[in-house]
Amino acid sequence: MSASHSVSSYWKNRARRHTMLMGYLFVAPMALYVLIVHFIPIASSLYLSFTDYNILTAPKWVGVANYVKLLFRDDLFRRAMRNTAQYALEVLPLNIAISLALALLVNRATRGIVIFRTLFYLPVVTSIIAVSMIWLWLYEPRSGLINLILGKLGVGPVNWLGSPALALHSLVLMRVWRGVGWNMVIYLAGLQGIPQYLYEAAEIDGASGLGKFRYITWPMLKPVTYYIIVMGLISTFQTFGEVYAMTGGGPLDSTTTVAFLVYQRAFQYFEMGEASAVAFLLFGVILVLSLVNIRYFQTRLD
Amino acid sequence: MVRRLVQALVVAMLVACIAVPGMAADKVKINLWFAGNPKPMMDAVNNELVPDFKAANPDIDLEVTFVPWGDLSTKLATSFAGGVAPDVFMHGQAATAGFASSDQVEPLDGYIAAMPDAADFGVTLDAGVYFGKRYMMPIFGSGWLLMYRADQFKEVGLDPNKPPATWEELRDAAKKLTIWQGGRLVREGLDLPSTGVNPPQIWACLLWQNGGDFFNQDFTKCVFNSPEGVEALQFIVDLIHKDKTTDTSINMGQGNIPSIATGEVAMLFAVPGDCAAVKTYAPDVYKEVRIAPPLARKKQVALYAFNGFFMSKSSKHKPEAWRTMTYFSSPKAIETICGSLRSLPPRQSLANMSFIAEDANLKTYVKGMPSARGNPNIPQWVKIRDVLSRYIEKAMYGAMTPKEALDAAAKEGDEILKK
Repeated sequence: MSASHSVSSYWKNRARRHTMLMGYLFVAPMALYVLIVHFIPIASSLYLSFTDYNILTAPKWVGVANYVKLLFRDDLFRRAMRNTAQYALEVLPLNIAISLALALLVNRATRGIVIFRTLFYLPVVTSIIAVSMIWLWLYEPRSGLINLILGKLGVGPVNWLGSPALALHSLVLMRVWRGVGWNMVIYLAGLQGIPQYLYEAAEIDGASGLGKFRYITWPMLKPVTYYIIVMGLISTFQTFGEVYAMTGGGPLDSTTTVAFLVYQRAFQYFEMGEASAVAFLLFGVILVLSLVNIRYFQTRLD
Repeated sequence: MVRRLVQALVVAMLVACIAVPGMAADKVKINLWFAGNPKPMMDAVNNELVPDFKAANPDIDLEVTFVPWGDLSTKLATSFAGGVAPDVFMHGQAATAGFASSDQVEPLDGYIAAMPDAADFGVTLDAGVYFGKRYMMPIFGSGWLLMYRADQFKEVGLDPNKPPATWEELRDAAKKLTIWQGGRLVREGLDLPSTGVNPPQIWACLLWQNGGDFFNQDFTKCVFNSPEGVEALQFIVDLIHKDKTTDTSINMGQGNIPSIATGEVAMLFAVPGDCAAVKTYAPDVYKEVRIAPPLARKKQVALYAFNGFFMSKSSKHKPEAWRTMTYFSSPKAIETICGSLRSLPPRQSLANMSFIAEDANLKTYVKGMPSARGNPNIPQWVKIRDVLSRYIEKAMYGAMTPKEALDAAAKEGDEILKK
């Protein structure tokens, strides 16, 4: 009995070991990819953030000097943080409101609705540089389309990208235009997951359209909204392409975002240590904001 | 049948793998990076110069890469760091100090001394000098001179044959040429860039014309916040805020057509490439476009800069790299490259080459070369220039007075110099 038990357990363990080995083998390519492409560069970057490194000579250990300089003596870093936060706070609510409105509009089985869905989604699949070039023309102060239309109405000219007071808002407008299609699709999926019987029950109870939205649609979409806020925060805090292509961080640093500052320090001045420190501070901010969001929304969702 | 076909393919691939390295083994591979990727230059290099070079140098396997200017410094730095730098690369003269101080480029004095026609380059060979050593073979150049519209000069009663020669004349002409309509600036008398790297370039011309300079003699202190520098910046600020001959909007022209050709701007500081752009995209307007000689105040000066080839210190084939440089700096190659870019040739013998002889504006650029001055050749220049850009922009937007802006820039500049 005991011998047969040990034989059977041997075969069981062997089978389990084989299964485990196969599992590890299947996971290995992806694990290696993550290790080589993500973890090693992140760890290297963390190390570099404590050094003075210009690519051409060996890194020199400087401890926390880069962080101290950025946090206490670097006006441009503080300005970039403020700009980025302002940008995110303007983009996210606008994006959520417009994308939800669009999702509600296209969430119906009307003939030709697919065309509208595609049109709203089209800017998302267009390259950020191509979009930026088009908007540069639209914003051109003297011959741009927007100012030409405003001129016909007796308004302007508006110095969209040349005015320190307006440049960041102008980038926000472009970003919202480009981003609503993506969130519209996510909201659309959320809307189609809401059980129809809830609306039918509400109708029997005499609920108005606004009431149905307030008491059914919006609460049922909260997990989707939470996802959009977290992902939106991460992506807006990493804004780079449009700043690089349209304003170069100006005028008067009014559009310098943290990601653009990383690029400037790393690839214009080759201050890799300082650039890495900026990147890790940005990572810290995104991490804290995401954790706050997760806790807040989890409490609300529970 | 299929099996035989597969076998034949495998054999062919094996033969190719063995034969190709064998064939290339007796050739020396030289990587050459050109800065910029305008189509006319790429066509001229690929279709005319490279085949000619290969025919004359069968022992060199030349690989040419065109790197956009915006990516050039980054790509070079990473390739040097990775040990895969090109044997020969093109860059601006202002990059000399950075590469030379970090020992990335080879001094060329020995090679140049053996050149039979080195004298043809004249003083342009000094564009790439760092601590007395020459590092760059100049290939093409440009300068910042005043571009104006002759038809608009006539329209406001100015003589197009007597362009502004002093600051005062420039201001008067700008005021006359400016058109405001109901709060809209319809035509800028003098367009001045307010963002990016161009504002310090324009201001540098005025600084030098006013007798000022960027640094003290041993490059240990910024002196650009001198009264001369402040006066030069005040002149720019007054044109924006007092005379209102321009504003701080970003003027892009229309499509490829520069703003001077669309009529939105009457005067601007331009490089020869701008002449080429107007000539290509608005040929009817080009006959009305003129270039003025360098302005003068205490001195007649304008900013000129040359771009040229550098040899990597890490190149394993320096004799072949030099042969490549010799070919691409020959009169024929420079004529082809400059002709494609409509740029200024560094060789004196090419001063009257056909595309310059046919174009009065380009002739003005060539004539202005004795008044040329280049940006300071120190490793910290790019950083200090960017600091200056930020503070000049602040003054142009009225966020700081010219003195406050230049004092703050000098303070930051001094810290960069110390580092």
